Amino acid sequence: METVPATKRVKQVKMKQSKKSSFTPWLFLAPHLIIFGIFFLIPIFFGIYISFTEWDLISSPTFVGLDNYKEILLQSDSIFYEQLHTGLKNTFLFVLFVVPFCILVPLLLASALNSKPMFWKFFQSLFYLPSLFAISAVIIIWTLMFNVTYGPINNIFHLDTVWTGTQPYAWIALVIVTVWWSIGGNMIIYQAALNGISKDFYEAADIDGASAFQKFMKITLPSIRGQILYTVVITTIAHFNVYGQPLMLTGGGPTDSTRVLLMYIQQNAFGSGQSIAGIASAMAVILGLCIMVVASLQFFFLREKKN
Amino acid sequence: MMSGKRVNPIPKIVAFVFLLAMAIIWIVPLLWGIVTSFKSEIELQTVGFKFLPIEWVLSNYTSLLVDNASTPLIRWFTNSLVISVSHTLLVLIIVTLSAFAFSRLEFRGKRLLFSFLMATMMFPAVVNLIPLYKIIDLFGWVNSPIAMIVPGAAGVFNIFLVRQFMNNIPIEFDEAARMDGATDFQILRKVILPLIKPVLLVVSLFSFTGSWNDFLWPSIVFNDVDKMPITPALQLLQGMYQSQPTLLMAGALIAIVPTFILYLFAQKYFLDSMSLSAGVKG
Repeated sequence: METVPATKRVKQVKMKQSKKSSFTPWLFLAPHLIIFGIFFLIPIFFGIYISFTEWDLISSPTFVGLDNYKEILLQSDSIFYEQLHTGLKNTFLFVLFVVPFCILVPLLLASALNSKPMFWKFFQSLFYLPSLFAISAVIIIWTLMFNVTYGPINNIFHLDTVWTGTQPYAWIALVIVTVWWSIGGNMIIYQAALNGISKDFYEAADIDGASAFQKFMKITLPSIRGQILYTVVITTIAHFNVYGQPLMLTGGGPTDSTRVLLMYIQQNAFGSGQSIAGIASAMAVILGLCIMVVASLQFFFLREKKN
Repeated sequence: MMSGKRVNPIPKIVAFVFLLAMAIIWIVPLLWGIVTSFKSEIELQTVGFKFLPIEWVLSNYTSLLVDNASTPLIRWFTNSLVISVSHTLLVLIIVTLSAFAFSRLEFRGKRLLFSFLMATMMFPAVVNLIPLYKIIDLFGWVNSPIAMIVPGAAGVFNIFLVRQFMNNIPIEFDEAARMDGATDFQILRKVILPLIKPVLLVVSLFSFTGSWNDFLWPSIVFNDVDKMPITPALQLLQGMYQSQPTLLMAGALIAIVPTFILYLFAQKYFLDSMSLSAGVKG
């Protein structure tokens, strides 16, 4: 008697079925693939191409080779050179200031929540809540918090700090708003990860007389390494695309010290006056390359070391 | 060895105090925003520092809602609803169909296509911004809600999420239906769909809030004030009423009501979904 393993049989029937009408899978895929092609794939190639052109968004683009890149990267008397360097520097600074807090603060919160103290569910909900709000609403709320004369911060601490208009306060304000707004997701990820660590490790460490700090460094961190890597990479990528906070909170000021690259890209391509979409595209490509390089480096240095 | 649970209460107390301190930082801006939206402009600027309004007024809300010429707030709100709901429905349909093909059907190049789609997630979207605008312009969709409903459905992460979920459903379920002569589409509708509701809810929540909160893209594709969704419109409002924080606050609070209500009702799913999406990647 012939017996065929169940899994194999399933596969055979499945193959038969799909051979009968091998175009049906494509009917299922078509809606997404069409949208994906038109609104993702074509724009990628189009976007890279126009970075090599002079273009005003209206007439047809004129191919200029590497001119845009030469101008923004090397031609130091060009305004666009100035913009790229200022914008890129400020974007990197923003990432540098914000990302450590966006990892550390939710990690501390998750560790504290994990010991399940009183009201921990309420705390968890509260910390997650702002990440569901639009950035424009968040900035309006915080603009009042930072207001010089009737803002709670200056009044409670008896300060007269011009938070959004002087440095380093403008950066501090941007970091506070961004952390308040965006740590919810990472916190939940860490909570889930911490929950997954076996209690046995900690009990064994207790017997050996390990301190809380030692336990954190030797047990907790290594156990959630994967989640930390994941959150570092996605958080960094997300904050390289910073736009709303400096636009609405500091207006890029004081004197362009918080004006990020995406603000220049937006202004050059879609701002008032003639569009300079070719230059703006070259800036976008450079920003994109920075994101990919930094994300790859992080991945390379933080990934699980395999002996 | 002591196995009796002599739980040390100190860490729990430290944790509670820390959380309480952080909670104050998190809640004050929200409470401050709420009470300010019920203060009159004059009171805010003359009375000095005071938490609760001396006189609770609704004028910030009413003047925003009534003055439809310069601040069509109801209009913006409705635009946002239309966009976010349509976008969510479109994403649900497209993602379910595509994930089903990748999870359940055999076709040539399946693995290759799937890996390719996943790899595109690594590509920085900022490069697409300018060409995407041009494509929308060519279609005549500038100032149209379609510009915000359709392009976002090109994303691939949700397909990955739903496919993972579908892969956990035993293939025998399909098989039984297939023996009874069900077509692929019938299997999807009758067998798979009822079982993937949890993950579809997660996709809905992400799509709705993502679309509602989108800021940069709508501020590019909408220049007609009447057609705008509320999130980029708040920036206009900020420009118009820079000297009237109480009015701005009312606008901002109205804009966050829908996602807040959604959170109240589906909080568990929001929180679960975060670990779900990290779990499959992490």
